[in-house]
Amino acid sequence: MQTNTAVKVDRLTKIFDTGAAVEDLSFEIRENEFVALVGPSGCGKSTTLKIVSGLIPPTKGKVYIRNAQVQGPIADVGMVLQSPVLLPWRNSLENVLFTAEMGGRKPGGYHRRASELFKLASLEGFEKSYPHELSGGMQQRVAICRALLLDPSLLLMDEPFGALDVLTRERMGFELQRIWSASKTTVLLVTHSITEAVLLADTVIVMTARPGRIKAAIKVDLPRPRDVHTLREPRFIELTGAVRDNIEAQWVE
Amino acid sequence: MMWKHTQNIRRAAEAPFAFLVILILWEYGAGFIGVPEYILPVPTDIVGKFWQTLTIQAHHLGVTAATTMIGLAMALLIGVLLAMSVLYIRPMKAIVLPILAAFNSIPKIAIAPLFVIWFGLGVEPKILLAFLLGLFPVFVNSITGLGEIEPDVLDLARLAGGNELRIFTKVRLMNAVPYITDAIKVAFPLALVGSIVGEFIGGNNGVGYLILSGQFNMDTPLVFATLLSITLFTTVVIGLVVFLERVLLKWRPSRRKR
Ligand SMILES: Nc1ncnc2c1ncn2[C@@H]1O[C@H](COP(=O)(O)OP(=O)(O)OP(=O)(O)O)[C@@H](O)[C@H]1O
Ligand SMILES: [Mg+2]
Repeated sequence: MQTNTAVKVDRLTKIFDTGAAVEDLSFEIRENEFVALVGPSGCGKSTTLKIVSGLIPPTKGKVYIRNAQVQGPIADVGMVLQSPVLLPWRNSLENVLFTAEMGGRKPGGYHRRASELFKLASLEGFEKSYPHELSGGMQQRVAICRALLLDPSLLLMDEPFGALDVLTRERMGFELQRIWSASKTTVLLVTHSITEAVLLADTVIVMTARPGRIKAAIKVDLPRPRDVHTLREPRFIELTGAVRDNIEAQWVE
Repeated sequence: MMWKHTQNIRRAAEAPFAFLVILILWEYGAGFIGVPEYILPVPTDIVGKFWQTLTIQAHHLGVTAATTMIGLAMALLIGVLLAMSVLYIRPMKAIVLPILAAFNSIPKIAIAPLFVIWFGLGVEPKILLAFLLGLFPVFVNSITGLGEIEPDVLDLARLAGGNELRIFTKVRLMNAVPYITDAIKVAFPLALVGSIVGEFIGGNNGVGYLILSGQFNMDTPLVFATLLSITLFTTVVIGLVVFLERVLLKWRPSRRKR
Protein backbone atom coordinates (compact mmCIF):
# COMPACT_ATOMS: atom_id res chain seq x y z
CA MET A 1 0.00 0.00 0.00
CA GLN A 2 1.33 3.43 -0.89
CA THR A 3 1.94 5.81 1.97
CA ASN A 4 -0.15 8.58 0.46
CA THR A 5 -3.28 6.45 0.26
CA ALA A 6 -6.10 8.14 2.18
CA VAL A 7 -8.81 5.54 1.65
CA LYS A 8 -8.38 1.93 0.61
CA VAL A 9 -11.42 -0.22 -0.07
CA ASP A 10 -10.35 -3.83 -0.28
CA ARG A 11 -12.63 -6.48 -1.84
CA LEU A 12 -15.70 -5.12 -0.15
CA THR A 13 -18.91 -7.13 -0.17
CA LYS A 14 -22.16 -6.16 1.53
CA ILE A 15 -25.09 -8.54 1.60
CA PHE A 16 -28.47 -7.36 2.90
CA ASP A 17 -31.59 -9.46 3.41
CA THR A 18 -32.51 -8.30 -0.06
CA GLY A 19 -29.30 -9.74 -1.51
CA ALA A 20 -25.85 -8.43 -2.37
CA ALA A 21 -25.65 -4.64 -2.65
CA VAL A 22 -21.95 -4.42 -3.48
CA GLU A 23 -19.66 -7.28 -4.42
CA ASP A 24 -15.89 -7.50 -4.40
CA LEU A 25 -15.46 -3.75 -4.67
CA SER A 26 -11.92 -2.40 -4.54
CA PHE A 27 -10.54 1.10 -5.08
CA GLU A 28 -8.09 3.53 -3.57
CA ILE A 29 -8.22 7.26 -3.00
CA ARG A 30 -4.97 9.15 -2.73
CA GLU A 31 -4.46 11.87 -0.15
CA ASN A 32 -6.07 15.11 -1.42
CA GLU A 33 -7.66 13.34 -4.34
CA PHE A 34 -11.17 14.21 -5.47
CA VAL A 35 -13.02 11.05 -6.47
CA ALA A 36 -16.53 10.91 -7.90
CA LEU A 37 -18.57 7.73 -7.67
CA VAL A 38 -21.24 7.25 -10.34
CA GLY A 39 -23.46 4.33 -11.21
CA PRO A 40 -27.05 3.31 -11.78
CA SER A 41 -29.57 3.73 -8.97
CA GLY A 42 -29.44 0.96 -6.38
CA CYS A 43 -25.92 -0.13 -7.27
CA GLY A 44 -24.66 0.42 -3.74
CA LYS A 45 -23.10 3.89 -3.79
CA SER A 46 -24.71 5.03 -0.53
CA THR A 47 -23.93 1.65 1.01
CA THR A 48 -20.27 2.00 0.03
CA LEU A 49 -20.14 5.48 1.57
CA LYS A 50 -21.68 4.23 4.81
CA ILE A 51 -19.19 1.37 5.04
CA VAL A 52 -16.26 3.71 4.36
CA SER A 53 -17.47 6.00 7.16
CA GLY A 54 -17.75 3.02 9.51
CA LEU A 55 -21.46 3.48 10.13
CA ILE A 56 -22.29 -0.01 8.89
CA PRO A 57 -19.95 -3.01 8.84
CA PRO A 58 -19.09 -4.81 5.59
CA THR A 59 -20.10 -8.46 5.15
CA LYS A 60 -16.69 -9.23 3.69
CA GLY A 61 -13.61 -7.20 2.89
CA LYS A 62 -11.94 -4.30 4.65
CA VAL A 63 -11.70 -0.53 4.54
CA TYR A 64 -8.58 1.36 5.60
CA ILE A 65 -8.40 5.08 6.28
CA ARG A 66 -4.78 6.21 6.32
CA ASN A 67 -3.65 2.63 6.92
CA ALA A 68 -5.93 2.08 9.92
CA GLN A 69 -8.71 -0.43 9.46
CA VAL A 70 -12.19 1.04 9.87
CA GLN A 71 -14.04 -0.67 12.70
CA GLY A 72 -16.63 1.90 13.78
CA PRO A 73 -17.67 5.48 13.04
CA ILE A 74 -14.50 7.23 11.90
CA ALA A 75 -13.31 10.60 13.20
CA ASP A 76 -12.16 13.66 11.28
CA VAL A 77 -14.76 13.22 8.56
CA GLY A 78 -17.43 15.47 7.11
CA MET A 79 -20.59 13.87 5.77
CA VAL A 80 -23.21 15.45 3.54
CA LEU A 81 -26.30 13.47 2.59
CA GLN A 82 -28.82 13.95 -0.18
CA SER A 83 -31.35 15.54 2.17
CA PRO A 84 -30.13 18.23 4.56
CA VAL A 85 -31.18 16.42 7.79
CA LEU A 86 -31.15 19.56 9.93
CA LEU A 87 -32.52 19.59 13.46
CA PRO A 88 -35.75 21.61 13.29
CA TRP A 89 -35.34 23.08 16.80
CA ARG A 90 -31.94 24.58 15.99
CA ASN A 91 -31.39 27.66 13.86
CA SER A 92 -28.85 27.51 11.00
CA LEU A 93 -25.93 28.58 13.15
CA GLU A 94 -26.77 26.08 15.89
CA ASN A 95 -27.16 23.37 13.27
CA VAL A 96 -23.70 24.09 11.91
CA LEU A 97 -22.24 24.08 15.43
CA PHE A 98 -23.88 20.68 16.05
CA THR A 99 -20.77 18.95 14.66
CA ALA A 100 -18.59 20.62 17.29
CA GLU A 101 -21.01 19.93 20.14
CA MET A 102 -21.37 16.25 19.28
CA GLY A 103 -17.59 15.95 19.44
CA GLY A 104 -17.72 17.32 22.97
CA ARG A 105 -16.28 20.71 22.01
CA LYS A 106 -17.52 24.04 23.33
CA PRO A 107 -19.46 25.60 20.43
CA GLY A 108 -18.36 29.11 21.45
CA GLY A 109 -14.95 28.72 19.86
CA TYR A 110 -16.38 27.92 16.43
CA HIS A 111 -18.49 31.00 15.77
CA ARG A 112 -15.77 32.63 13.65
CA ARG A 113 -15.30 29.58 11.48
CA ALA A 114 -19.09 29.22 11.17
CA SER A 115 -19.56 32.79 9.94
CA GLU A 116 -16.74 32.27 7.43
CA LEU A 117 -18.60 29.26 6.10
CA PHE A 118 -21.92 31.14 6.00
CA LYS A 119 -20.23 33.75 3.86
CA LEU A 120 -18.77 31.10 1.60
CA ALA A 121 -22.18 29.49 1.13
CA SER A 122 -23.93 32.88 0.62
CA LEU A 123 -25.98 32.36 3.76
CA GLU A 124 -25.04 35.55 5.59
CA GLY A 125 -27.99 36.96 7.50
CA PHE A 126 -29.67 33.58 7.86
CA GLU A 127 -27.74 32.44 10.94
CA LYS A 128 -30.79 32.85 13.17
CA SER A 129 -33.31 31.32 10.76
CA TYR A 130 -34.89 27.98 11.55
CA PRO A 131 -34.82 25.21 8.90
CA HIS A 132 -38.51 25.66 8.03
CA GLU A 133 -37.76 29.27 7.15
CA LEU A 134 -35.14 28.28 4.55
CA SER A 135 -35.51 26.95 1.01
CA GLY A 136 -34.41 23.39 0.27
CA GLY A 137 -31.23 24.63 -1.39
CA MET A 138 -30.39 26.88 1.55
CA GLN A 139 -30.94 24.00 3.97
CA GLN A 140 -28.55 21.88 1.93
CA ARG A 141 -25.93 24.65 2.05
CA VAL A 142 -26.30 24.73 5.85
CA ALA A 143 -25.69 20.97 5.85
CA ILE A 144 -22.52 21.48 3.80
CA CYS A 145 -21.31 24.16 6.22
CA ARG A 146 -21.97 21.74 9.09
CA ALA A 147 -19.79 19.10 7.41
CA LEU A 148 -16.97 21.61 6.85
CA LEU A 149 -16.98 23.21 10.32
CA LEU A 150 -14.07 21.22 11.72
CA ASP A 151 -12.05 21.20 8.47
CA PRO A 152 -12.22 17.42 8.12
CA SER A 153 -9.43 15.70 6.22
CA LEU A 154 -12.00 13.46 4.50
CA LEU A 155 -15.26 14.65 2.99
CA LEU A 156 -17.93 12.07 2.14
CA MET A 157 -20.81 13.40 0.09
CA ASP A 158 -23.86 11.44 -1.00
CA GLU A 159 -25.52 13.34 -3.85
CA PRO A 160 -25.19 16.58 -1.89
CA PHE A 161 -26.48 18.79 -4.71
CA GLY A 162 -29.34 16.55 -5.81
CA ALA A 163 -32.02 18.84 -4.40
CA LEU A 164 -30.59 22.04 -5.89
CA ASP A 165 -31.55 23.77 -9.14
CA VAL A 166 -29.04 23.49 -12.00
CA LEU A 167 -27.46 26.94 -11.58
CA THR A 168 -27.09 26.75 -7.80
CA ARG A 169 -25.82 23.25 -8.22
CA GLU A 170 -23.10 24.41 -10.61
CA ARG A 171 -22.11 27.23 -8.28
CA MET A 172 -21.96 24.95 -5.26
CA GLY A 173 -19.84 22.53 -7.29
CA PHE A 174 -17.27 25.22 -8.10
CA GLU A 175 -17.46 26.36 -4.49
CA LEU A 176 -16.69 22.82 -3.39
CA GLN A 177 -13.72 22.74 -5.79
CA ARG A 178 -12.45 25.98 -4.25
CA ILE A 179 -12.85 24.72 -0.69
CA TRP A 180 -11.19 21.47 -1.63
CA SER A 181 -8.17 23.09 -3.29
CA ALA A 182 -7.81 25.61 -0.46
CA SER A 183 -8.00 23.06 2.35
CA LYS A 184 -6.69 20.04 0.47
CA THR A 185 -9.08 17.56 1.93
CA THR A 186 -9.78 14.22 0.33
CA VAL A 187 -13.23 14.02 -1.24
CA LEU A 188 -15.44 11.08 -2.15
CA LEU A 189 -18.50 12.41 -3.95
CA VAL A 190 -21.46 10.27 -4.99
CA THR A 191 -23.35 11.91 -7.81
CA HIS A 192 -25.92 11.16 -10.49
CA SER A 193 -24.59 13.83 -12.78
CA ILE A 194 -21.88 12.75 -15.22
CA THR A 195 -21.12 16.40 -15.97
CA GLU A 196 -20.63 17.18 -12.31
CA ALA A 197 -18.44 14.11 -11.82
CA VAL A 198 -16.08 14.95 -14.68
CA LEU A 199 -16.06 18.67 -13.90
CA LEU A 200 -15.03 18.23 -10.27
CA ALA A 201 -13.16 14.95 -9.90
CA ASP A 202 -9.60 13.75 -10.46
CA THR A 203 -10.94 10.24 -10.89
CA VAL A 204 -14.43 9.11 -11.81
CA ILE A 205 -15.28 5.62 -10.61
CA VAL A 206 -18.14 3.99 -12.52
CA MET A 207 -19.97 1.18 -10.76
CA THR A 208 -21.96 -1.59 -12.38
CA ALA A 209 -25.63 -2.20 -11.70
CA ARG A 210 -26.49 -4.09 -8.52
CA PRO A 211 -24.53 -5.82 -7.11
CA GLY A 212 -22.09 -2.96 -7.50
CA ARG A 213 -18.62 -3.69 -8.80
CA ILE A 214 -16.07 -1.40 -10.41
CA LYS A 215 -16.85 -0.93 -14.08
CA ALA A 216 -14.16 1.64 -14.84
CA ALA A 217 -11.96 4.24 -13.17
CA ILE A 218 -11.48 7.20 -15.46
CA LYS A 219 -8.69 9.72 -14.81
CA VAL A 220 -9.75 13.29 -15.51
CA ASP A 221 -6.69 15.20 -16.75
CA LEU A 222 -8.35 18.57 -17.18
CA PRO A 223 -6.38 21.51 -15.76
CA ARG A 224 -7.52 23.25 -12.57
CA PRO A 225 -9.20 25.38 -11.55
CA ARG A 226 -12.06 24.31 -13.75
CA ASP A 227 -14.89 26.69 -14.49
CA VAL A 228 -17.84 27.12 -16.84
CA HIS A 229 -15.46 27.28 -19.80
CA THR A 230 -14.21 23.80 -19.03
CA LEU A 231 -17.68 22.57 -19.97
CA ARG A 232 -17.02 23.49 -23.61
CA GLU A 233 -13.54 22.02 -23.94
CA PRO A 234 -13.24 19.08 -26.35
CA ARG A 235 -11.36 17.04 -23.75
CA PHE A 236 -14.21 17.56 -21.28
CA ILE A 237 -16.76 16.38 -23.83
CA GLU A 238 -14.56 13.41 -24.65
CA LEU A 239 -14.30 12.39 -20.99
CA THR A 240 -18.03 12.74 -20.22
CA GLY A 241 -18.58 10.60 -23.32
CA ALA A 242 -16.26 7.94 -21.94
CA VAL A 243 -18.08 7.91 -18.58
CA ARG A 244 -21.43 7.78 -20.35
CA ASP A 245 -20.29 4.87 -22.55
CA ASN A 246 -19.31 2.91 -19.47
CA ILE A 247 -22.68 3.44 -17.86
CA GLU A 248 -24.68 2.79 -21.01
CA ALA A 249 -22.68 -0.31 -21.88
CA GLN A 250 -24.47 -1.97 -18.97
CA TRP A 251 -27.87 -1.38 -20.50
CA VAL A 252 -26.83 -3.28 -23.60
CA GLU A 253 -25.46 -6.22 -21.64
CA MET B 1 -55.08 43.96 5.99
CA MET B 2 -58.09 45.88 7.21
CA TRP B 3 -60.33 43.01 6.31
CA LYS B 4 -58.11 40.49 8.05
CA HIS B 5 -57.90 42.67 11.14
CA THR B 6 -61.65 43.05 11.60
CA GLN B 7 -62.02 39.35 10.94
CA ASN B 8 -59.55 38.58 13.72
CA ILE B 9 -61.42 40.80 16.16
CA ARG B 10 -64.67 39.15 15.21
CA ARG B 11 -63.24 35.69 15.69
CA ALA B 12 -61.71 36.62 19.06
CA ALA B 13 -65.02 38.08 20.22
CA GLU B 14 -67.18 35.19 19.05
CA ALA B 15 -66.53 32.73 21.89
CA PRO B 16 -67.00 35.15 24.84
CA PHE B 17 -70.10 36.53 23.15
CA ALA B 18 -71.63 33.08 22.74
CA PHE B 19 -70.73 32.32 26.36
CA LEU B 20 -72.43 35.51 27.51
CA VAL B 21 -75.59 34.67 25.56
CA ILE B 22 -75.74 31.25 27.21
CA LEU B 23 -75.27 32.81 30.66
CA ILE B 24 -78.10 35.32 30.07
CA LEU B 25 -80.43 32.61 28.75
CA TRP B 26 -79.54 30.45 31.74
CA GLU B 27 -80.02 33.29 34.25
CA TYR B 28 -83.44 34.46 33.01
CA GLY B 29 -84.65 31.29 31.26
CA ALA B 30 -84.31 29.12 34.39
CA GLY B 31 -86.35 31.58 36.46
CA PHE B 32 -88.90 31.96 33.68
CA ILE B 33 -89.52 28.21 33.33
CA GLY B 34 -89.37 27.84 37.10
CA VAL B 35 -86.50 25.40 37.64
CA PRO B 36 -85.91 25.14 41.43
CA GLU B 37 -82.49 26.15 42.77
CA TYR B 38 -81.65 22.66 44.07
CA ILE B 39 -81.91 21.36 40.48
CA LEU B 40 -80.15 24.14 38.60
CA PRO B 41 -79.02 27.31 40.35
CA VAL B 42 -78.68 30.41 38.16
CA PRO B 43 -75.24 31.96 37.40
CA THR B 44 -75.59 34.87 39.83
CA ASP B 45 -76.42 32.42 42.65
CA ILE B 46 -73.37 30.31 41.77
CA VAL B 47 -71.04 33.30 41.72
CA GLY B 48 -72.59 34.50 44.97
CA LYS B 49 -72.01 31.13 46.58
CA PHE B 50 -68.48 31.02 45.22
CA TRP B 51 -67.75 34.41 46.75
CA GLN B 52 -69.34 33.43 50.05
CA THR B 53 -67.30 30.21 50.33
CA LEU B 54 -64.09 31.70 48.91
CA THR B 55 -61.78 30.65 51.77
CA ILE B 56 -63.23 27.13 51.89
CA GLN B 57 -62.94 26.88 48.10
CA ALA B 58 -59.34 28.08 48.23
CA HIS B 59 -58.46 25.54 50.90
CA HIS B 60 -59.99 22.53 49.16
CA LEU B 61 -58.82 23.57 45.70
CA GLY B 62 -55.33 23.99 47.15
CA VAL B 63 -55.35 20.39 48.39
CA THR B 64 -56.63 19.03 45.07
CA ALA B 65 -54.20 21.16 43.07
CA ALA B 66 -51.30 19.90 45.18
CA THR B 67 -52.15 16.19 44.86
CA THR B 68 -52.85 16.60 41.14
CA MET B 69 -49.62 18.44 40.40
CA ILE B 70 -47.50 16.10 42.54
CA GLY B 71 -49.10 13.10 40.79
CA LEU B 72 -48.54 14.72 37.40
CA ALA B 73 -44.92 15.53 38.18
CA MET B 74 -44.36 11.92 39.27
CA ALA B 75 -46.05 10.68 36.09
CA LEU B 76 -43.73 12.89 34.03
CA LEU B 77 -40.60 11.73 35.83
CA ILE B 78 -41.45 8.02 35.97
CA GLY B 79 -42.99 8.06 32.48
CA VAL B 80 -39.84 9.49 30.93
CA LEU B 81 -37.58 7.19 32.97
CA LEU B 82 -39.62 4.13 31.97
CA ALA B 83 -39.46 5.18 28.32
CA MET B 84 -35.68 5.57 28.67
CA SER B 85 -35.36 2.13 30.22
CA VAL B 86 -37.33 0.61 27.37
CA LEU B 87 -35.18 2.50 24.90
CA TYR B 88 -31.79 1.66 26.34
CA ILE B 89 -32.18 -1.67 28.14
CA ARG B 90 -33.21 -4.26 25.63
CA PRO B 91 -34.89 -6.81 27.97
CA MET B 92 -36.90 -4.00 29.60
CA LYS B 93 -38.95 -3.64 26.45
CA ALA B 94 -40.23 -7.20 26.80
CA ILE B 95 -41.05 -6.62 30.47
CA VAL B 96 -42.31 -3.06 30.75
CA LEU B 97 -44.45 -2.80 27.62
CA PRO B 98 -46.82 -5.76 28.28
CA ILE B 99 -47.11 -4.94 31.99
CA LEU B 100 -47.97 -1.34 31.32
CA ALA B 101 -50.36 -2.22 28.52
CA ALA B 102 -52.14 -4.73 30.74
CA PHE B 103 -52.21 -2.29 33.64
CA ASN B 104 -53.57 0.44 31.41
CA SER B 105 -56.53 -1.75 30.47
CA ILE B 106 -57.61 -1.96 34.16
CA PRO B 107 -59.93 0.93 35.01
CA LYS B 108 -57.87 2.53 37.79
CA ILE B 109 -61.02 4.07 39.25
CA ALA B 110 -62.28 0.56 40.02
CA ILE B 111 -59.27 -0.22 42.17
CA ALA B 112 -59.30 3.16 43.93
CA PRO B 113 -61.05 1.74 47.05
CA LEU B 114 -58.11 -0.64 47.46
CA PHE B 115 -55.78 2.32 47.77
CA VAL B 116 -57.88 3.65 50.65
CA ILE B 117 -57.48 0.30 52.40
CA TRP B 118 -53.74 0.30 51.76
CA PHE B 119 -52.85 3.95 52.23
CA GLY B 120 -55.62 5.43 54.37
CA LEU B 121 -57.60 8.63 54.02
CA GLY B 122 -54.73 11.09 53.59
CA VAL B 123 -53.24 12.55 50.41
CA GLU B 124 -51.31 9.40 49.44
CA PRO B 125 -54.07 7.49 47.62
CA LYS B 126 -55.05 10.71 45.76
CA ILE B 127 -51.50 11.32 44.59
CA LEU B 128 -51.18 7.66 43.62
CA LEU B 129 -54.39 7.79 41.54
CA ALA B 130 -53.34 11.05 39.87
CA PHE B 131 -49.95 9.53 39.09
CA LEU B 132 -51.35 6.26 37.72
CA LEU B 133 -53.86 7.98 35.47
CA GLY B 134 -51.27 10.43 34.12
CA LEU B 135 -48.52 7.86 33.63
CA PHE B 136 -49.60 6.10 30.46
CA PRO B 137 -49.93 9.09 28.11
CA VAL B 138 -46.57 10.42 29.29
CA PHE B 139 -44.91 7.03 28.81
CA VAL B 140 -46.35 6.44 25.33
CA ASN B 141 -45.46 9.91 24.06
CA SER B 142 -41.98 9.74 25.58
CA ILE B 143 -41.27 6.48 23.79
CA THR B 144 -42.17 8.10 20.48
CA GLY B 145 -40.43 11.40 21.20
CA LEU B 146 -37.20 9.90 22.51
CA GLY B 147 -37.11 6.90 20.23
CA GLU B 148 -38.23 7.95 16.79
CA ILE B 149 -35.23 9.87 15.55
CA GLU B 150 -34.40 9.94 11.85
CA PRO B 151 -31.62 7.36 11.28
CA ASP B 152 -29.67 9.92 9.22
CA VAL B 153 -29.59 12.29 12.21
CA LEU B 154 -28.17 9.54 14.41
CA ASP B 155 -25.59 8.66 11.73
CA LEU B 156 -24.41 12.27 11.51
CA ALA B 157 -24.30 12.58 15.29
CA ARG B 158 -22.20 9.42 15.64
CA LEU B 159 -19.81 10.48 12.89
CA ALA B 160 -19.31 13.79 14.65
CA GLY B 161 -18.23 11.83 17.72
CA GLY B 162 -21.50 11.94 19.62
CA ASN B 163 -21.70 9.52 22.54
CA GLU B 164 -25.05 8.27 23.85
CA LEU B 165 -25.20 10.94 26.58
CA ARG B 166 -24.73 13.84 24.15
CA ILE B 167 -27.11 12.26 21.66
CA PHE B 168 -29.66 11.90 24.46
CA THR B 169 -29.47 15.47 25.74
CA LYS B 170 -29.03 17.26 22.43
CA VAL B 171 -31.11 15.11 20.08
CA ARG B 172 -33.54 12.73 21.79
CA LEU B 173 -34.68 14.99 24.60
CA MET B 174 -35.11 17.98 22.30
CA ASN B 175 -37.06 15.83 19.87
CA ALA B 176 -39.31 14.67 22.73
CA VAL B 177 -40.26 18.17 23.98
CA PRO B 178 -43.35 18.66 21.78
CA TYR B 179 -44.45 15.07 22.47
CA ILE B 180 -44.18 15.65 26.21
CA THR B 181 -46.06 18.96 26.21
CA ASP B 182 -48.78 17.19 24.22
CA ALA B 183 -48.78 14.41 26.81
CA ILE B 184 -49.21 16.95 29.62
CA LYS B 185 -52.36 18.27 27.96
CA VAL B 186 -53.83 14.77 28.15
CA ALA B 187 -52.27 13.66 31.44
CA PHE B 188 -53.23 16.74 33.45
CA PRO B 189 -57.04 16.33 33.16
CA LEU B 190 -56.59 12.61 33.86
CA ALA B 191 -54.51 13.31 36.97
CA LEU B 192 -57.20 15.73 38.12
CA VAL B 193 -59.83 13.01 37.69
CA GLY B 194 -57.59 10.72 39.77
CA SER B 195 -57.38 13.24 42.61
CA ILE B 196 -61.11 13.99 42.63
CA VAL B 197 -62.12 10.33 42.53
CA GLY B 198 -59.73 9.74 45.42
CA GLU B 199 -61.47 12.51 47.34
CA PHE B 200 -64.88 11.04 46.53
CA ILE B 201 -64.06 7.75 48.18
CA GLY B 202 -62.33 8.89 51.34
CA GLY B 203 -61.06 11.75 53.46
CA ASN B 204 -62.41 15.20 54.18
CA ASN B 205 -60.30 17.41 51.96
CA GLY B 206 -60.24 18.56 48.37
CA VAL B 207 -62.82 19.72 45.84
CA GLY B 208 -64.11 16.15 45.47
CA TYR B 209 -65.01 16.14 49.14
CA LEU B 210 -66.58 19.61 48.85
CA ILE B 211 -68.80 18.45 45.98
CA LEU B 212 -69.86 15.39 47.96
CA SER B 213 -70.76 17.47 51.00
CA GLY B 214 -72.74 19.78 48.71
CA GLN B 215 -74.61 16.74 47.46
CA PHE B 216 -75.36 15.44 50.97
CA ASN B 217 -76.86 18.78 52.01
CA MET B 218 -78.69 19.23 48.70
CA ASP B 219 -76.64 22.41 48.43
CA THR B 220 -76.57 22.46 44.62
CA PRO B 221 -75.15 26.02 44.43
CA LEU B 222 -72.12 24.78 46.42
CA VAL B 223 -71.61 21.95 43.93
CA PHE B 224 -71.68 24.41 41.05
CA ALA B 225 -69.45 26.92 42.87
CA THR B 226 -66.90 24.12 43.36
CA LEU B 227 -67.12 23.24 39.66
CA LEU B 228 -66.33 26.88 38.99
CA SER B 229 -63.21 26.57 41.19
CA ILE B 230 -62.11 23.49 39.27
CA THR B 231 -62.64 25.25 35.95
CA LEU B 232 -60.53 28.20 37.07
CA PHE B 233 -57.75 25.79 38.08
CA THR B 234 -57.76 23.85 34.79
CA THR B 235 -57.83 27.09 32.81
CA VAL B 236 -54.75 28.35 34.63
CA VAL B 237 -52.83 25.09 34.16
CA ILE B 238 -53.70 24.69 30.47
CA GLY B 239 -52.76 28.36 30.01
CA LEU B 240 -49.39 27.63 31.61
CA VAL B 241 -48.81 24.65 29.31
CA VAL B 242 -49.66 26.74 26.24
CA PHE B 243 -47.26 29.42 27.47
CA LEU B 244 -44.56 26.80 28.02
CA GLU B 245 -45.09 25.56 24.46
CA ARG B 246 -44.74 29.09 23.11
CA VAL B 247 -41.39 29.43 24.84
CA LEU B 248 -39.98 25.96 24.19
CA LEU B 249 -41.35 25.41 20.70
CA LYS B 250 -40.73 28.78 19.12
CA TRP B 251 -38.92 26.95 16.34
CA ARG B 252 -42.13 25.34 15.16
CA PRO B 253 -43.65 26.69 11.95
CA SER B 254 -46.48 28.83 13.25
CA ARG B 255 -49.93 28.31 11.86
CA ARG B 256 -50.85 31.95 12.23
CA LYS B 257 -48.17 33.30 9.93
CA ARG B 258 -49.20 31.07 7.06
N1 LIG C 1 -30.67 -1.33 5.14
C1 LIG C 1 -30.88 -2.04 4.02
N2 LIG C 1 -31.52 -3.23 4.09
C2 LIG C 1 -31.72 -3.96 2.99
N3 LIG C 1 -31.32 -3.61 1.77
C3 LIG C 1 -30.68 -2.45 1.63
C4 LIG C 1 -30.42 -1.60 2.74
N4 LIG C 1 -29.76 -0.50 2.30
C5 LIG C 1 -29.62 -0.66 0.99
N5 LIG C 1 -30.15 -1.82 0.56
C6 LIG C 1 -30.15 -2.35 -0.80
O1 LIG C 1 -28.85 -2.22 -1.31
C7 LIG C 1 -28.86 -1.74 -2.62
C8 LIG C 1 -27.94 -0.55 -2.73
O2 LIG C 1 -28.50 0.53 -2.03
P1 LIG C 1 -27.84 1.97 -2.03
O3 LIG C 1 -28.69 2.87 -1.24
O4 LIG C 1 -26.42 1.84 -1.62
O5 LIG C 1 -27.91 2.35 -3.57
P2 LIG C 1 -27.44 3.68 -4.29
O6 LIG C 1 -26.41 3.32 -5.28
O7 LIG C 1 -27.07 4.70 -3.30
O8 LIG C 1 -28.76 4.10 -5.06
P3 LIG C 1 -29.29 5.56 -5.39
O9 LIG C 1 -28.46 6.07 -6.51
O10 LIG C 1 -30.71 5.32 -5.83
O11 LIG C 1 -29.18 6.37 -4.16
C9 LIG C 1 -30.28 -1.42 -2.98
O12 LIG C 1 -30.73 -2.34 -3.93
C10 LIG C 1 -31.06 -1.54 -1.69
O13 LIG C 1 -32.25 -2.23 -1.93
MG1 LIG D 1 -27.93 6.52 -2.64
